[in-house]
Amino acid sequence: MKKSLRSAWFAAALVMIMILAACTGGSGGESSTPSEDGGEGEELPHVTFTYASVQGIEGYDYTAGDDLAKYYSEKFNYTLEVTALNWDNWNDRLRIWINSGDMPDVAVYNYIHADAASFVEQGLIKRLPDDWKERWPNVAAVYEKTSIGPKMEEVFGGTYFIPRARFLDNLPGDPLANHPSLYLRKDWAEAVGFPIKSTYTISEVIEFGKLIKEHDPGNVGDRLIPIAENTNHAVELFVARNSTYFDSFYKDEDGTYKWGATHEDTLEGLKLFKEAYDSGVLSPDFYTVTDEQHGDYFLMTGFAGATFFQAPTSALQNNYNTFQTNLGLDPYEHIHMATVLGEDGYYHQRDLINYWGMIIFNPDISDEKFERYMDILEYNATREGYLTTVLGLKGIDWDYDENGNIISLYDQEAEGRPLGGPDGKYPSMGYLLGSVILFDDFAFDDPNSDERLRELSRQLYKERTEISTPETFPKVDWDLFTFDSPSMRRAQFNYATEYANLITMEGDLETNWRNWIESQMSLVQPVLDELNSQLGN
Amino acid sequence: MENTVQVKNKNSLLRRMWKAREIYMLLIPGIIWYIIFAYIPMYGLTLAFKTYKANLGIFGSPWVGMVNFTYVFRDPAFFESVWKTLYINAGRILFQFPVPIILALMLNEVRVGRYKKIVQTIFTFPHFLSWIIVASIMINILNMQGMVNGIIRMIGWEPINFLGSTKIFLPMLYITENWKSAGWIMIIYMAAIAGIDTEQYESAQLDGASRLQQIWYITLPGIQSTIVVMFILAIGNIMNAGFDQIFNITNAATVKAGEILDMYIYRITFQSAADFSFSSAVSLFRSVVNFIMLLLADRVCKWLGAEGLFPSPRKMR
Repeated sequence: MKKSLRSAWFAAALVMIMILAACTGGSGGESSTPSEDGGEGEELPHVTFTYASVQGIEGYDYTAGDDLAKYYSEKFNYTLEVTALNWDNWNDRLRIWINSGDMPDVAVYNYIHADAASFVEQGLIKRLPDDWKERWPNVAAVYEKTSIGPKMEEVFGGTYFIPRARFLDNLPGDPLANHPSLYLRKDWAEAVGFPIKSTYTISEVIEFGKLIKEHDPGNVGDRLIPIAENTNHAVELFVARNSTYFDSFYKDEDGTYKWGATHEDTLEGLKLFKEAYDSGVLSPDFYTVTDEQHGDYFLMTGFAGATFFQAPTSALQNNYNTFQTNLGLDPYEHIHMATVLGEDGYYHQRDLINYWGMIIFNPDISDEKFERYMDILEYNATREGYLTTVLGLKGIDWDYDENGNIISLYDQEAEGRPLGGPDGKYPSMGYLLGSVILFDDFAFDDPNSDERLRELSRQLYKERTEISTPETFPKVDWDLFTFDSPSMRRAQFNYATEYANLITMEGDLETNWRNWIESQMSLVQPVLDELNSQLGN
Repeated sequence: MENTVQVKNKNSLLRRMWKAREIYMLLIPGIIWYIIFAYIPMYGLTLAFKTYKANLGIFGSPWVGMVNFTYVFRDPAFFESVWKTLYINAGRILFQFPVPIILALMLNEVRVGRYKKIVQTIFTFPHFLSWIIVASIMINILNMQGMVNGIIRMIGWEPINFLGSTKIFLPMLYITENWKSAGWIMIIYMAAIAGIDTEQYESAQLDGASRLQQIWYITLPGIQSTIVVMFILAIGNIMNAGFDQIFNITNAATVKAGEILDMYIYRITFQSAADFSFSSAVSLFRSVVNFIMLLLADRVCKWLGAEGLFPSPRKMR
């Protein structure tokens, strides 16, 4: 009996030890395993980062899945465990993780000031050490270029967020325009007699959709979608392109703050949106399209006559290649890209601010992991590091010629696959390797991208700034951007869902719009009162 | 005198419990589960009266009295979601509650054992699919380019926007929930039917009762107490209208039709700057209403002559 009791205690103790080992092992992973190649990683103790970002590849081995991933993981002696988020769950998932204290070591965060202020106030994300700029000067140099980084530092009294700069040397405009553009089937437009121009008003885009629906120049039949969108991009195309403040508060000419949803431009945009929906220009169930799949209808299946879709310079080559591979058509002859203007003929948008996604750290991340990650960022903020993130390995994928110009050694046709992306040579390449400078900056000079596309992208950016006024394309109102209060935190809406709901609702749109505004005023009015008393004239 | 009776009752209850201790032992895992996952987390309800600060934790966060409830009751979307929850659940009681009973009665009448088992398996299987999977299947089948609309087009009719119509939304909720859960709930009624004394049916047959008469006069009264308990529980759940199902099925076009209280809580908690105190206040309100409804339903059932959830001690004896 005694013996069996002792055995039971022993077994219980063993189980406890195993549980404790399992609990502590996952988060640490800081065993000293020097890299085998004798590189710089040899002197560094091994660390494991947990990391979450949008645009990752679920299940991919970001530590050793390809040579580029290996280069980094060996150089900095780490294992990278990536949680891939998608566009639909990015904000919600991170919110849940951060608020419950379960965020990964490092994450790329879609900055929303109301959230951010709450995270900072509650100590839910790490405050960087005060001397970080001296310790990682290259990161600090990029940080200054984003403008939002220093601004938030001022607001929060310290650095909590490291914005990732879209542009460093090649800023295409100030204020900065966003990249989504209208992709239009040039051959179909010509077949139905629709003019090819560099800009179209929203009405003209709807007109194009109607012509395509009527004539079906591609003989697609039942599957034809004149303009393919998901909810977010549909709202971007029909409402945001007509109404600068469709999803925000703003300071009116009279010096008072107002809610953009109540602006006449927003109503006009909603009317256009409804017209597109009711006339069958949009798919009757466009709101069921998840993630960014509407682009597939244009680029892969060829069912769509047009789509308002992501168009960063860095993605254009890939999009054109996708079109060619799937439809067997020359994209340079069959795709036309254009800017969409409001009904007043001007480009509408608020200054994008030169960043996309901010790097944040778990408040409990160990100093060792934090410093290692900052070292990676520091390397990638150097010229050599940045070129590695966008071009691959020096001497293998690119090099300098005798004049010091960058030349590509990568022959995509011979390789039969692109350099990056899920089907590319380096699926790990991209936003995930801890870069503070995004692809956009180098994309204008990227030798792997066709010169025609780079020129087209420059023109699209340039035109948006030119065809606008300070009223239709204003610079950031930092007072408003950084305004925070409990009322402001409550008055956050999912505008895309609300607007899509309004235009699919039965009854008169204008009446529904007014009813919706009235129903939200209990949340909105306190914010307006606060803004006008604290910031208004 | 009254005290003496109470002591007696108490003693006899304990004695009976001791006699059936092996049976009561089976309750232990369930009780432990409830303590760990239901009772201990209840301290979190205090958040409804605090302003939650993650760095201070639930206990350290400052008390703010009824402020959160003031915000809750100021928001028209809250009342709309309460109304929507009640409306959807009234429909569930009307269109979903009877279905497993009917299925159980029908299946009980199937005389071929093998066929009965196959049918029961088919009915039960969907319960094991998560709503994410069911919703994905639905979206694929019912979208404008999906199989159902393909057939509709082949017949020459106009395709139907199943996923975006607020008129179809509610029937779709009830149909899919019935498809997924009715077979599972049916098992409870089948078990109750199995407990009915078969001699009653034999006597009824000798007296010339038809099958329908047997169902009406023997089977239904035999499972009445089970139906009553299930009904009271359904009423006690009136403020929960099936978050998983609605969250996965709704889209921008039907979001208002499915804005139940759980969706409202999700939206204010995770789709805008998170305010856990605010959402705790809403959750507390929901639980209180559920509790009141449960007691009310129990009272009404007793008033109508049924036993209810808590039979009186006299009846227990």
